[in-house]
Amino acid sequence: MPSSLPSFVRYLYPPVFLLGTLLAWFAVSEWWQWISPTRFPTPTQTAEAFQRILIQGYGNGRLHQHIVQSVLLVSLSFTISAALGIALGIFMGASRKIEALVNPVFLTLRPIPPLAWIPLAIVWLGLENSAKVMVIFVAAFVPSVINTFTGIRSLEVPQREAARMLGIRGRAYYFEVLIPAAMPMIFTGMRLSLQASWTTLVASELVGAVLGLGSILNQAAQDINPPMILVGMIFVALSGWLMTYGLGLLERLAIPWRPV
Amino acid sequence: MIAAQTSKPWLQTLRLSLTGIVLFLGCWYLAVFLEVTPRRFLPAPHEVLFRFVQLIQEPFVGFTLGQHLLSSFRRFLNGFLLAIAIGIPLGLLMALSRGVQLLVTPIFESIRFVAPIAWVPFAALWFGTGIGGPTLVIFMGAFPPVLINTYRGAIYVDRKYIEAAKMLGAGPIRLMTQVLFPASLPSIVAGLRISAGLGWQSLVGAELIVASSGVGYMMVKGQASIQTQIVMAGMIAIGLVGLLIDILLRRMERRFNRYQEVH
Amino acid sequence: MADIRFEAVQRAFVQGGKEFLAVGGIDLVVANEEFVAIVGPSGCGKTTCMRMVAGLDQPSSGRVLVNGQEVTGPGPERAVVFQQFALFPWKTVFENIAFGLRAMGLGQTEIDDRVNRFISMMGLSGYEQAYPHQLSGGMQQRVAIARAYVLDPGVLLMDEPFGALDAQTRVVMQEELVRLARKNPKTVLFITHAVEEAVYLADRVVVMSRRPGLIREIIDVKSIREKERWDDHPRIEDVMDLGSFVHLRSHIWRTLREQHLGDDQ
Repeated sequence: MPSSLPSFVRYLYPPVFLLGTLLAWFAVSEWWQWISPTRFPTPTQTAEAFQRILIQGYGNGRLHQHIVQSVLLVSLSFTISAALGIALGIFMGASRKIEALVNPVFLTLRPIPPLAWIPLAIVWLGLENSAKVMVIFVAAFVPSVINTFTGIRSLEVPQREAARMLGIRGRAYYFEVLIPAAMPMIFTGMRLSLQASWTTLVASELVGAVLGLGSILNQAAQDINPPMILVGMIFVALSGWLMTYGLGLLERLAIPWRPV
Repeated sequence: MIAAQTSKPWLQTLRLSLTGIVLFLGCWYLAVFLEVTPRRFLPAPHEVLFRFVQLIQEPFVGFTLGQHLLSSFRRFLNGFLLAIAIGIPLGLLMALSRGVQLLVTPIFESIRFVAPIAWVPFAALWFGTGIGGPTLVIFMGAFPPVLINTYRGAIYVDRKYIEAAKMLGAGPIRLMTQVLFPASLPSIVAGLRISAGLGWQSLVGAELIVASSGVGYMMVKGQASIQTQIVMAGMIAIGLVGLLIDILLRRMERRFNRYQEVH
Repeated sequence: MADIRFEAVQRAFVQGGKEFLAVGGIDLVVANEEFVAIVGPSGCGKTTCMRMVAGLDQPSSGRVLVNGQEVTGPGPERAVVFQQFALFPWKTVFENIAFGLRAMGLGQTEIDDRVNRFISMMGLSGYEQAYPHQLSGGMQQRVAIARAYVLDPGVLLMDEPFGALDAQTRVVMQEELVRLARKNPKTVLFITHAVEEAVYLADRVVVMSRRPGLIREIIDVKSIREKERWDDHPRIEDVMDLGSFVHLRSHIWRTLREQHLGDDQ
C-alpha cells in the first residue's frame, strides 16, 4: 500500500484541504456566483443561518435543543434495542433449537427496510416520540442479532474443545468463553445498529417532528431555506460521526486483545 | 462425523421452524381477536394477504401494486447504476493514483456521514418531484459501499500483476480495465450487494417524502387514510423485492468467488 | 495417577456415504507415569486414538479406559495440549493458565501459587499480563503446556504440540518438555509424525500402520536410553548423535517406509 508522504505533510493536509474547500466555496458561490444562492447557499448565508439557529432558534427550538432531542432519542432507543438484539443473538447462537425456532420469523421480517416501518409506526403511535422509538428499534435490532449470532458461532473448534477439556460449563462458559469470543462481532453489530438508528431517526424526524435535527431539515425544506438545510445536514453528519467515534472508543476499552 | 445419530436433525429443525412461524401468526391472530387495537389499526394476517392480492389488480392512488413497484424499481435502478458508473471507475482511479486518492478521500469522508435521507430537502429543492430527487438520495446511499469496496479491492491487488502489465506496455486505462478491475471483482461484487441494500432502503425513505408514485408513496397514502392493510401490503412488497435483489447479487457474488479461487 | 487401556478399540467413519475404518483394532496399555509416543503416516488414526482418550471422540467398538474407568467425555483429569495451542485470546497468560483451576473450584491463593510456579517453570515470567496475540508461537505453546500441567492431571495428551512451530523453536521445546517430564512424571500419550521427536521424548514408541490404523510395532526406548545413559547429555544434538539413538530412529523409519511401499504397490 502506498504511503510515502512525510508525516508533517500528512498533518498539514487536512487543514489545508479544509481551507482550500472553504476558499473554493466562497469563490464559486459568493464571488463569482457560478451557482445561484437559491440552489446552494453561500458561506455567509450558512454562517448567518447557523448563528440564527444557535441563538434565536429555528423550528421550535434552538440548536442545542434539537441536538439533545435527537441524540437522546437515538441513544435510548439504540441502547435498548441493541441490548435486546445482542441477548437474542446470544441465545440463538448458543442453542440450535432457539435458532430454528426464531429464524423463520426473523428472516421474513428482515428484508423489510426499517424506513418502511415508518408509515406503520405513524398509524399505531402517531407522530410522537414513541413512533420514532419503534422504528429505531426495528432498525437497530436486526444488525445486532445477526452479528452477535455470527460472533457466537465463530468460536473455533480447538478453543471449544479446550474449554470442554478444562471443565468449563454453565455461566462460566457463556461469560468467559462464548461471549468474549463474540465481542469483536458484537461491536461490529453495534456499529451497524448505531448507523441504522441514526439514519432512521433523521428519516422519522423528516417525516414529522416538532424537535430534532430532522425537523430542522423538514422545516427548512418547507420554508425553502437552503442555508438552514445545509446547517441541518452539517450537524446530522457531525452528530453521526461523533457517536460512531464514541462507540469506537468504547470498543477499544472493551476489547484489549486481538485474535491470535 | 459421529457414528450414531439419534434422529434426523433436519427434521427437528423443520419442526421447530414451523413452530416458530405458527407461534408468530398465532400471537398476531390473538392480538386481533382480543381487539388490542381497533381492527383498522391491526388487521388480521389474511386480510393483509387479500389486500395484497387485490392491489395487484386494482389500482390504489392511481396505480396497481405492480405499477408502483415498477416506478420504485426504476428510481432505484437509476441511483444504483449511477453509483456503479461513478463508483467503480473512481475507486480504480484512486487505487492507481495517489493524487486522486488524496483529493477524493476528504470530500468523501465528510459527505458519507450525512445520512442519505438528509439529502431529501436539497433533492426536493433541486429536482422537485421529478425522478432526479429520489435518484440523488439513492445515489447517496448506494455510492459509499461501491467506492470503498472497489478501492479496497484494487489496492490489495498483488503489485506484481500491475508491474507485469506495465512491463508489457499497458497504459493507465488498460491497467484499470484489464488488470485492476478483474482482480478486484470479488470485492466489488460484495460491495454491490451492500450498496443495493442501502440503495433500496434510501429509496423507500425518499419515496415517503417526495414522490407521487411508487411503493413508499402508496404506503404514505395508506397511512394517511388509515388503511393499515395497504401499509402492510406495501411493507411485504418492499421486503420481497429487496430480498430478490439480494438473492440475485448473492448468486453473482458466489460465481465470482469461485472464479477467484481458481487462482 | 492413572493408566490408559485400549481394549480392541475400533473407530469407523462415514464419508461420502461410505464407511471406512480409521482405527482398525487397537490393544494398548500405557502404564502409570509412562511416556508413550505414537508415530505413523498421515491418516493412520493416531490423533483419533488420542481424542478417544481425551473424550473428544468415542470408539465405534471396544473400550478406552483411564484408571480403570471408561472415558465418556473430556475433563481436566485428562489434560490436552492442542497443535493449534487453543488459548483464549481474550484472557491474559495468567488467566489462561488459571482458568481450569477456577473451574475446579480451587481457592484463589492456591490458584495463584500453582499458576506462578508453572509460569516460572515454563519460562513465562514477566508475561503474566500479556495477551496471546502478543506472544510468539513457542511462547503460546508454553502457556498451553503450563495450562495442562497446572491441572495436575492423571493423564497428559499431546496432539502434535510442536507441529505449528518453526524448527528451532521446536528443538528448544523438546528439550524443555524432556526436562519437565523427568521432573514431573505423568502418564503421557504423545502424538507426532516426527520420529526423532518420538525417540527423544518417549519411553516407548508405538508405530501405527496406514488406514485402517493398527499397531505395527512397539519399541522400547527407555531401556536403551537408560543403558546408554542419554540423560548424561543435556543437549538434544548430542543425544541425537549417539549411535543407539540413530539406530532406533533408523529402525522406526524403516518400519514406516514399509507402510508407504506397501501402499504404492
